[in-house]
Amino acid sequence: MLMEAVKIEMGATERWPDNVKLYQQYQAEQITFPDYAASLSVKTFLYMCGLEFSTVPKINAEEMSPSGRVPFIHIGPFLVSEFEPIVAYVQTRGFGLNDDLTDVQKSELKAYIKLIGSTLVNAELYLSWLVPEVYEKVTKARYGAMYAWPLNCILPYQKFLSVQKQLAASEWKNKTFAEVCEEVETCCQALNDRLGTQNFFFGKKPTELDALVFGHISTLLTTDLPRNEFADIIRRYDNLLVFLKRIDAEYFDALRNSY
Amino acid sequence: MNGNEEVQTLHLDWETLYSKPAFVQRVLVSGLKRTKDDIITKNVKPLLQAENFGDIVKKAEAVSDRLQQLGIFSRIKIEIDTCKGANANDNGYDVRYVVQESGRLKMGYYTMVGQNDGSLEFNFRSPNVLGRAEEVKLDYIYGTKHTRGFGLSLKKPLNGNPDTWFGARAYREQGDYPWSGYKETDHGAGLDLSFLSLLGNHNLRWEGVWRDLRCLSNLSSFRVREQAGHSLKSSLIHTYVRDTRDDMVLPTRGTLLKMTQEYAGIGGNANFFKHGVEFQANQALPLSSVVQVCLAGGIVRPLRDTTVNITDRYFLGGPLTLRGFNKNGIGPHSDGNALGGDVYCMGGLHLYTPLPFRPGSGGFGELFRSHFFVNAGNCGNVENFSLDQVNKENWKAFQNSLRLSYGLGVVLRLGSLARLELNYVLPVWKQAGDSASPGVQLGVGISFL
Repeated sequence: MLMEAVKIEMGATERWPDNVKLYQQYQAEQITFPDYAASLSVKTFLYMCGLEFSTVPKINAEEMSPSGRVPFIHIGPFLVSEFEPIVAYVQTRGFGLNDDLTDVQKSELKAYIKLIGSTLVNAELYLSWLVPEVYEKVTKARYGAMYAWPLNCILPYQKFLSVQKQLAASEWKNKTFAEVCEEVETCCQALNDRLGTQNFFFGKKPTELDALVFGHISTLLTTDLPRNEFADIIRRYDNLLVFLKRIDAEYFDALRNSY
Repeated sequence: MNGNEEVQTLHLDWETLYSKPAFVQRVLVSGLKRTKDDIITKNVKPLLQAENFGDIVKKAEAVSDRLQQLGIFSRIKIEIDTCKGANANDNGYDVRYVVQESGRLKMGYYTMVGQNDGSLEFNFRSPNVLGRAEEVKLDYIYGTKHTRGFGLSLKKPLNGNPDTWFGARAYREQGDYPWSGYKETDHGAGLDLSFLSLLGNHNLRWEGVWRDLRCLSNLSSFRVREQAGHSLKSSLIHTYVRDTRDDMVLPTRGTLLKMTQEYAGIGGNANFFKHGVEFQANQALPLSSVVQVCLAGGIVRPLRDTTVNITDRYFLGGPLTLRGFNKNGIGPHSDGNALGGDVYCMGGLHLYTPLPFRPGSGGFGELFRSHFFVNAGNCGNVENFSLDQVNKENWKAFQNSLRLSYGLGVVLRLGSLARLELNYVLPVWKQAGDSASPGVQLGVGISFL
């Protein structure tokens, strides 16, 4: 704990170095969509903060990550992985998106972030690993894509077991697919209602919640899978669709043009 | 005078007896239960070629040795007698082996010492499963540095010949490599063939291993972290050993030559070619002293457009190799983690003498030797190594990066394989980044140079 504190203290001296790198798996062939959603959330957050970074694709990004999950950022001598720790770390560097919020709004923001962590993230894992069609046709092939036989069979199976364990711990493993769809629907409804016709969840400026929602919802909407139930659900919420388009236009169009 | 004559006669008798024309008429083996006849028949055949009595005795012993090497008998006794019975020839002899077969299941454990770490191996062995010296072994290793492992191996002599063995093994092993800041879990399988040639012992092995590397902590260097993850190695390994030393721990004469070639490139994503050599020569001097010269070196080059993973690289340094440095403390380091080199070499000049004033001479004192030594070596990376690069400048750069240490100490023999060294060492040539350990250094292990 003390080490961490000292590290953060030391790191805070230089605001944002030039060579910040974000590590994830290869986007076109390898990354599975729950990981892609997580990575897109972090990237969106960093874009929203106006922070420069480069994305480094690595076959072994997951094994390199200190927490065993992607994405992680390498900034100076520090490594920080996953959305919430990255947001917290970026804040210690003096960048944040929620400075203007009231305390009530801040706790509301936290609640919505929790909601996404406990529903959308689990639903993504469920869809990609526990729905047989998706697992067999997409997830297995992608997760093992960069490895030779027999690792391309062993590694997806190992991951399958660990996801199963993770979902069992949060009591999602025994849900039926219909129940999972229901959860997604409830979550989308809640987000849609909170958003209303505002530009962002908390008014005119984006917060980390906007980045997180964008990362997950747009991944679910745009990923082509054998089962499209989640995408069909999302399409019913107009506020969310408008929101996705707005963020895409604001933060990603410029990037696309720069290529 | 009389006595002397008697001795003379007796001597003559032995001489005549030994050179007396004789042949083996029958070979009898008693005590066989589950061993198949054919494997015994193959191994006793040389006896039938004996031409005189001395020859019979010599060959009978050689056959006994071979039977022993099969590892299926706990006891072998030889009896030689003149052949009796209806068809008995005057010069015919019976050779009888009284053997006792090993039990169906043997349990064992032994301690192993690597370089300053120890482990305990428990095993179950079943020798002679199908009657032709097939052995099945199940082992479990538990050691310091989180070393854990278990394996299942099978071996069998080919054609009943104890000089040629076929083996197969499947295993799972894990261990920490704190000097490099990573831990590794291996799952592997291999097939191997051991055989003799005019040059020495050979072992040819195919090995397929899935290696999973992870950082030990958040303090591990990023250079190590980049190499974390899964890799698959499928390699052919040839090991050649020629050992004429009289002892493995404190030899007084003879040489050891060991060469290993590994070609990792038949499938998998660890692609490299590795070649290592170790040489040791011993020469006895007056006053029970022995001078020893050791030379070792190795090079590993990536095949195709790859890099060589940290787990396949060479490391150098330690209390039993290049003394005066910490374990694997020589060569490229990053944030205190040894990254290993793709080439290494080292040499050592040792003088072993009895302890001063020879306490416990002829007994306990023989386990100890005083030890004076000079060690030198180098470990690093050769970018794009090729022969035309061996020029004066490169040679100079190599010389300038050489490490050298010298010192003295005491060596204690631990059994027939391991030794303990307590030395006072001065590392005199060092390089930036090396992890040196001047002063008193203690080392225990079975591999030493």
